[in-house]
Amino acid sequence: MAKAQKGQVRVITGNAAAAYGAMLCRPDVATSYPITPMSEVAEQLSAFRADGLVDTEMVEVEGENSAMNVVTAASMAGGRVFTATSSWGLVFMYDAVQQASGFRAPVVMAIANRETPGILAVSGGQQDIISMRDTGWIQIIVEDCQEILDSVIMAFRLAEDFDIQLPVMVNYDGFYLSYLATAVEIPEREDAARFLAPLKQQPERPKLVPGEPLSCGTHGIEMGFMELRYKHCAALERATTKLDEIDKEFGEIFGRSYGGQIEEYRTEDAEIVLVTSGSATGTARTVVDAKRAEGIKVGLVKLRLFRPFPRKRLAEALKGKKAIGVIDRSVGFGWNCGPMYMEIRALTPEIGIIPMLSYIDGLANLDITIPHIERVIDEVSAAAQGKPYQEVTWIPMEE
Amino acid sequence: MVEGTKKRNKIFDYFREKEELYAGGVAWCPGCTLELTARFVPKVLGKDMVLVGCPGCSAPVFYGQNVGTWHRMTYYSCLMTGVPSSATGLARYYKKIGKDVTIVCFTGDGCAADIGFQPLSGAAERNENIIYICYDNEGYMNTGYQRSSTTPLGAWTSTTPVGVAGKGKPTPSKNMPLIMAMHGAVYVATATLSHLEDFAKKLLKAKEKKDEGFAYIHVFAPCLMGWRIEADSSIEVCRAAVRTNYFPLWEAENGKFRLTHEVASPKPVTELTKLMRKFSHLKEDGLAELQKVADERYALIKSLCDASK
Amino acid sequence: MVIKHKFILKTENAWSDASEPLLCMDTGSWRTARPVLDKEKCNYCGLCALYCPPQCMKDMGDYYEVDLAYCKGCGVCAKECPRDVISMVPEGEFTDG
Repeated sequence: MAKAQKGQVRVITGNAAAAYGAMLCRPDVATSYPITPMSEVAEQLSAFRADGLVDTEMVEVEGENSAMNVVTAASMAGGRVFTATSSWGLVFMYDAVQQASGFRAPVVMAIANRETPGILAVSGGQQDIISMRDTGWIQIIVEDCQEILDSVIMAFRLAEDFDIQLPVMVNYDGFYLSYLATAVEIPEREDAARFLAPLKQQPERPKLVPGEPLSCGTHGIEMGFMELRYKHCAALERATTKLDEIDKEFGEIFGRSYGGQIEEYRTEDAEIVLVTSGSATGTARTVVDAKRAEGIKVGLVKLRLFRPFPRKRLAEALKGKKAIGVIDRSVGFGWNCGPMYMEIRALTPEIGIIPMLSYIDGLANLDITIPHIERVIDEVSAAAQGKPYQEVTWIPMEE
Repeated sequence: MVEGTKKRNKIFDYFREKEELYAGGVAWCPGCTLELTARFVPKVLGKDMVLVGCPGCSAPVFYGQNVGTWHRMTYYSCLMTGVPSSATGLARYYKKIGKDVTIVCFTGDGCAADIGFQPLSGAAERNENIIYICYDNEGYMNTGYQRSSTTPLGAWTSTTPVGVAGKGKPTPSKNMPLIMAMHGAVYVATATLSHLEDFAKKLLKAKEKKDEGFAYIHVFAPCLMGWRIEADSSIEVCRAAVRTNYFPLWEAENGKFRLTHEVASPKPVTELTKLMRKFSHLKEDGLAELQKVADERYALIKSLCDASK
Repeated sequence: MVIKHKFILKTENAWSDASEPLLCMDTGSWRTARPVLDKEKCNYCGLCALYCPPQCMKDMGDYYEVDLAYCKGCGVCAKECPRDVISMVPEGEFTDG
């Protein structure tokens, strides 16, 4: 495929980047409902509509639950759809979120991550990602504003792929990325359209047509149900390698690539590895470089795809390492450790029994700082040398 | 042989669709008013619509079972919390691609008045191009006759049972059709199965108005099992509801109210309550309270109609 | 894993298809009484057909006849007939049920 033209570079917030990504893909129907820290996504998309930049049917719903139902139905009728929300709104649409994936509706949803209800918090955290783990959606977590825009475009390509037909959540740290304005290259519309064009060559997915005898949402009775679950899980599996392919293709066209399921940063010759996700990865890169300069053979794995869990690629990246430290911006209820840590720990048969350390940090807009990450690397390094270590650390609690 | 020409009732003239769109034998109770409603609506509106529904008494027939289905309509089944919102998504998308479609939400009162009220309210306020038909059997009948917010004052339900400390539902029903009229919907009407011509006209009116915006029809649909009515009396109960002014037949077109059927000498509500056993525990005072609610509601509707003249 | 199951649904997601024969229940077996219509008295108004919940009154040209395959025996037709032309007769009196 031919390379894309250089896009316009603008200084925009993460929220605006999400809106731009959606606008470039021209969704047929999109919903808006405000919630801190993503209200701007809805505002920006509505502004694009009002300015005639896109002819999306914008529905200002009366609640997030309706937001998901509106886009799912429009999607099942054959439309391209987009919505955005955060934590509380996400949890409010939980039933509809399950329906979307069960219906295999290729909905794309941008989420500015924020702490979930239970403890009132108007601040960032990844608990909302964790609360959606078992909904059957594809979950991608991004590091910076450029990646938000690019990932939204890639999300449409992934969701609507005939082999996949699954809804995709593009997650970005609320407050850290949602309100952060950085320089973002905005692809030209023709190039975004070109990137999505392969979808038109694929078979058409079944859709709701008025007057036709095909009805959506039938009962799954016994083996019918089992079949649908089986197919759903199989599609999620296929999404792992599909994301790698799509990311590679994006790189070839737009010159920016993110590694697909995971990004491996200086891991090849690393003895110890840090695993992070989201905006904290940016900070982690700086610390990894500094520690490398001191002679510590540390590498970094950025977990981009959370669901489906990138088992194979993670196992390959972590195999043969001496110790691993995982920084979670959320908690794993019932296991009393970080949730991503827990899932990586499940890879022990493939990786081998090595020290794995869980770090819980960054809840409720508490920063994951350079000193924090330095500490993590030091402790993981010590563990790799056989020194006794603490399995789970809630970093701010120890300060 | 009867003298003179044999002529069928003019209600048949309202049928656009001659084909029976459902299988002959489907899982609705004998005498069920929902079955009559469900079979009647597509005959009047035509088959080329999209029906949106959710769990409830309609679900066992509207939902497919694996690939099999009991009817030939285009149906979108969704959650109880998502009917008018899903319908909104469909309406907006079809509009965008230039397809003229009649989208009909078809739910019970449990969905419309309770768990699905928020999206209904939102869709009505946004004036979406949707027809919403609520069949009101005054409770969650499919799950075992539990109370809903349209269950009337004093009624027995399985969650407001009668005993030493229980006297049936302690609060009157939500006046759903009036609430929907207050949303500014372009067309709101009440209808029931004893007055089929009135119902047919309202369905056609709703279809006409849906291009302008949101239309809502509230159908009084007694549940024989939940209200303890004799199998052959479903239509009689509907008729009694109209004749006692318990369920007046009116419509509001762009905010102008009109009684579509005025009852010259309304009977007391006891003429209705005696046909069912869900009120049989009510003594004089209970019945008087029910009468008062019916009278006040009728007076309100009448005054709205008079003010619209 | 070796899949022996023969897939019922051809689609990835949950669609039912009415271009196949419709599902149907033997609701005629539910009833305990059936409507018997006196053809001589019937004036073909059709109210029984209109009010019949399963819509199983067949139009015979100048009178109506019940479709016994689906009649559930509710008795609404008998109750609503303005000329009292229909009576509900217990199933036990018939040998063809």
